[in-house]
Amino acid sequence: MSRFNKFLALPLLVAATNLPAAAEGSGVAPMAEPLFRVGGLPVTNSMIMSWVVAIGLILVIRLVAGKPKLIPSRGQAVVERLIESLMEIIEPIVGPKAIKASRPLLLALFTFILLQNWSGLIPGVGTIMMRSRATGEWMEIARPGNADMNGTFALAFVSLFVGTWIILRYAGVKAILFDIFGNKADKRDVPAALYYPMFLIFFLVGLLDVISIMFRPISLSFRLYGNIFGGENLIHSMYGIFKWGLPVPFYFMELLVGFVQAFVFTLLVSVYIGLICNHEGGGHDGEAAHH
Amino acid sequence: MIHTIAEITGNLKALQGGLGCLGAAFGVGFVGTRAAEAVGRNPGAFGKILVIGILGMAFAEAIAFYALFLGNY
Repeated sequence: MSRFNKFLALPLLVAATNLPAAAEGSGVAPMAEPLFRVGGLPVTNSMIMSWVVAIGLILVIRLVAGKPKLIPSRGQAVVERLIESLMEIIEPIVGPKAIKASRPLLLALFTFILLQNWSGLIPGVGTIMMRSRATGEWMEIARPGNADMNGTFALAFVSLFVGTWIILRYAGVKAILFDIFGNKADKRDVPAALYYPMFLIFFLVGLLDVISIMFRPISLSFRLYGNIFGGENLIHSMYGIFKWGLPVPFYFMELLVGFVQAFVFTLLVSVYIGLICNHEGGGHDGEAAHH
Repeated sequence: MIHTIAEITGNLKALQGGLGCLGAAFGVGFVGTRAAEAVGRNPGAFGKILVIGILGMAFAEAIAFYALFLGNY
């Protein structure tokens, strides 16, 4: 009987700590709630937050950098420094051929995702609530743009689309087909009896590779959504458990997680471009990143 | 036996999420171990190892989100 009690104690403790959070109703709905409808299409609180972040980003960069001059003003120097430090890390991965075309995409992805992730930490986002007209329950007026699967899927879809365009333009269809299906064995090293069956093997591997490539947008979007939505949910649940001070360490963890996830998203998109476009030897570290 | 555990905790979905997160935790830990070891062997390569370490951890952590959100609701 005592052995059974010991086995029971830990799960009961875990279940008990969930009860206060569930009872308070704290915790974020997995999908963003619509605030109003425009011509039949819903406008959710996540969408409004992404618009605010996008407009804010454009305005701030324009105001700080102004008209770019040859001798930079202080604001322009700051913005240029930020751009350079990001490009230092990404340029060896993407390679010299595609860097000119992919620079706007990667910069925009990094800053946009970074600000969107951090927008959940602004006081007021996620806390000012109103009664939803549809269900009658409380919902937030503003919510981080990436805490909704639609936002992250849009980002992944855009990067897939633009990445494919860049690869097709700078490497060509032949290079893509060779990279996926081509026989990579060296004719001089491998005896002929082994070289020709390798065509079949590499073709089958290529089919698996196509599936893995098609999975990439899903993986990108789920990673970003899970991290940001999980962080939002965590802070709300911690608030539900103990209001005074418990969410504070998780707030700082959200700062770190937001930065890391923006960085990882940008890095992964650049790796997907660089795998095909970069053949100077630096791109082969990215082969281990094939998921 | 799985059903017994699920009945005690009351939630099969929580078990699915928990097992996924367990795997992810192990994965991230392995990446961190090897990264720390690599920096110990070659402290000058800290920047490159940091980038690869973060990339590896992001991949390992994503599996937890598949288990949490892609399973049957």
